[in-house]
Amino acid sequence: MTKDQRQQWFARVMESGLENQVFAPSDVLAHATPDVLANNLPPDLLSKVLTASLAAGSMTPERVLETITPDVMSRHLPHDVLWACIAAAAARAGVTNAVVS
Amino acid sequence: MNLKGFFVTALSSALELDIATPDDVLRHVTPDVLSIHLPRPLWARLLTACLGAPRVDAQLVVETVGVPNLCEHVPQPIIWACLQEIGRRAIGADGESDGVVALVHDRKAPSAPLIAPSPPIVATGTPVATPVIAAPALPAPTIPRPTTANPLGDLVNELEHDQDRDRSATGNGTAGNASRARTPTSQRFRQSQTGIGRLAPTSLTSPRRPQAAASPSATPVSLPSVLGGRSSDKTPPPPADPADTFEVVTEMGKDDWKNALAVEDEQLVDWQASDETITTADDFTGRKR
Repeated sequence: MTKDQRQQWFARVMESGLENQVFAPSDVLAHATPDVLANNLPPDLLSKVLTASLAAGSMTPERVLETITPDVMSRHLPHDVLWACIAAAAARAGVTNAVVS
Repeated sequence: MNLKGFFVTALSSALELDIATPDDVLRHVTPDVLSIHLPRPLWARLLTACLGAPRVDAQLVVETVGVPNLCEHVPQPIIWACLQEIGRRAIGADGESDGVVALVHDRKAPSAPLIAPSPPIVATGTPVATPVIAAPALPAPTIPRPTTANPLGDLVNELEHDQDRDRSATGNGTAGNASRARTPTSQRFRQSQTGIGRLAPTSLTSPRRPQAAASPSATPVSLPSVLGGRSSDKTPPPPADPADTFEVVTEMGKDDWKNALAVEDEQLVDWQASDETITTADDFTGRKR
């Protein structure tokens, strides 16, 4: 399992989770917090997020994820953060008797 | 919420990207699980594929059934357990808990006991600190090293040396024979141990005639009378009773078997013409050799 393969897989899972509404952008940002984003995203991406929000007049989770796409997330964010998002969504969906922390 | 679609994408992409293997899937989606939840038409397809395939493995099962069918029919907690293992392994988690959720049995699913126990997750990123206990250095057992490569060779060498000594003492041996190097004896032992001589006819495998000692219950042959005066220097003591006669003959063959062979060659014509050795009236002249 190479790093590229792992990144691709997390990108697809995150994309599928959003498409299938297993989790919402707000759920993603509940794990990919501003602190996580600030510490892991490169400066150009941070700048782009801010620019888009400034142009729209607001920064919503949906707008953040327009820039921070699943592919970007899988490349820059820690995978355990992404997995925590996925696992929490699965717990909410009732496939496990999980305790969401 | 399309949870099944999410599972299909996650599992399919994991298999495509070699994040997971079909074996990972079948560890959770066991044959027992399939037997309960997979529809019969899919089972028929699976059995047909397995019967026609030269090798039946997890890949064949997963490819035949298909990930969409697995996610459609197998209970979601089982699929999730599989995905959870894959995901934890992908992030290098080494424990059961990833800090967010803890997998327990689904209280709603009646097939919860069918969930295969999670195998130990191999951590790829975070090595498990396993204490390595150094075993105390035990003294190695001292095994005496064999002095010769062939232990039986010593025995044979000694026997041949005795024979050569006897031969030189009686004047039959030569100085060259006494001092010659011992020939390899492996062939001799192979013939006696493989038992090929037992299976093949004696007349084809060995030029030797059957020994008179092969029928000890018959009238015992007095060896001194057969050998004449040639073995007078090694005449055995007279047997105490007829039962000991066989033993005496055997000991003679063991001690001086070459001399016994020489005498036997001289007695071939008489032995063949003897009525005592005819054991059957069948005519073997026409037998194909």
